[in-house]
Amino acid sequence: MFRRDFESKFGIAVTALATLATIFLLLPVLFVVLHSFSPTRYFQWPPQGFSLEWHQNFYNSELFMGAARNSFLMALIVTPLSLVIGIPASYALVRSQFRGKAIIQQIILSPLIIPGVVTGVSLLSLLSTMGVRIGLFGLCLGMLVFALPFSIRALSANLLGLDPRIEEAARNLGAGPVRTFFAIVLPQLKSGILAASVFVFVEALDNFSISVFLTNDSTKVLPVAAYQYIKDFDDPTVAAMATALIVMSVIIVAFLEKVMGFQKSLRL
Amino acid sequence: MAQTSDRSKYLISPALVIGLFIVAAYGYFALSSFFAKGPPGTQFAGGPTFDNYWRVLSFGSNQEVLLSTLWASFVISVITIGVAVPMAMVIVRAKREWIGNLIMLAIAVTFLSGGVTRAYSWLILLGNKGLINLGLTSLGIVDAPIRFLYNWSGVGISIAHYLLPFAVFTLIGAVRNLNPSVEEAARSLGASRTTTFWRITMPMLLPGLMVTLVLVYSIALASFLFPMLLGGGKVRMIANQIYDRMFVEYDIPYAAATAVVFLISAFVSIWLISFVAKKIEKAVS
Repeated sequence: MFRRDFESKFGIAVTALATLATIFLLLPVLFVVLHSFSPTRYFQWPPQGFSLEWHQNFYNSELFMGAARNSFLMALIVTPLSLVIGIPASYALVRSQFRGKAIIQQIILSPLIIPGVVTGVSLLSLLSTMGVRIGLFGLCLGMLVFALPFSIRALSANLLGLDPRIEEAARNLGAGPVRTFFAIVLPQLKSGILAASVFVFVEALDNFSISVFLTNDSTKVLPVAAYQYIKDFDDPTVAAMATALIVMSVIIVAFLEKVMGFQKSLRL
Repeated sequence: MAQTSDRSKYLISPALVIGLFIVAAYGYFALSSFFAKGPPGTQFAGGPTFDNYWRVLSFGSNQEVLLSTLWASFVISVITIGVAVPMAMVIVRAKREWIGNLIMLAIAVTFLSGGVTRAYSWLILLGNKGLINLGLTSLGIVDAPIRFLYNWSGVGISIAHYLLPFAVFTLIGAVRNLNPSVEEAARSLGASRTTTFWRITMPMLLPGLMVTLVLVYSIALASFLFPMLLGGGKVRMIANQIYDRMFVEYDIPYAAATAVVFLISAFVSIWLISFVAKKIEKAVS
């Protein structure tokens, strides 16, 4: 009786504030989708009709399609690599003790605390001194360096929640370390792997502060292309790109929800 | 034991190679801050010098950008947390579960839709003839459009919006750990709802709020795209200054010294926030 009173009345003010905050959160996302169908170059309210011009513009643009190819290629290279390198590393960091573990962890996770722009310029500086030309290789390397700590963090969070005694049981029953890993650990890591790949993939597509330093005209990626387009043109073509990315993120959320419930998978 | 340790060496070495590569890059960039600008195509030249640090620390415009980056990031982070607390409370405590799920969905979609998308959307929304100003003027709240673009208000709004999902995700854990029966006890002892919220709920939530503050503050400090796009050259944060020194002035050592000073002040300010936070927590409990 009392509990109900506390919750419901206290809830009204908080719920109202939370509703306003949610509107604030969703406003730019919904607006940009609406704006992409605008019949006019500039924003008008109420919209005077409906047009697919900007979407056509986006999908016919050499700039954006080239950038989309580069972005997806890079994301498809970096995501699996960050898992292949990140899974064994987080397993070692969570499950075993070895000398220098703390400092090794600091080294590997350092891009998490250094602002992206500093990571970007530092990589550009070192790569150009080493004579590596800025191209797809440098871009993928830079993004891998930047994304790996995020992947390791998501995977470690998952590993920390697993009971090591299950692995010990498998070992005691005669399974080798490799077999134990693939039969026992990997299946339990499903949610961490999913979270890490979603995060790395989205970061690879969206990251601006690293890629702005590591791209040139032939390896331009989507965020950099969008930034240049916004500077030079004043029309909703970028809104069409944003709509495509939002549709993709809705699909990802729906997929995560279906596989495991996104509340669980978004513990980053 | 020796065997385990041996195996983990192999497991960790690929990640360690990558980690050492980036640490080498940081180190090399920091090293260049102690030299003079080199001819085109080189990183630096000449003998060791503190000239760049002198330029970073003594020029008024540099101090201004540094201080306004630190201060604005702090203010924006505090506002963001104020917006995030009710969201986290509703997500955790709503009696109807779908409300919490709906907010989580909104956060997830916004979070995954990316920074460039949101920066662009705010650019259009906040224009003089944008939806926000149109709404404010037609509702009679303001007479003339408010200038949001090319000043701190637009940059602040967009950064707060970018930080919000991070803040809510972090706060959910803190709110979940609250024990509602303590608040009920306060209520049953006669405290009003407002008193209970400020005297009981907030102090219990304080450690979580401080962790969130440090997290979003450090993300806000690194803001680059939002001031670049919504600040239109008038609002500049440190990251923009580093970028300009690289690509406008081609002065790598100067950019490096700016970055080193930035990192040191970022760490000191984060340490200061955590220090004050611990004092407050002690005083409250």
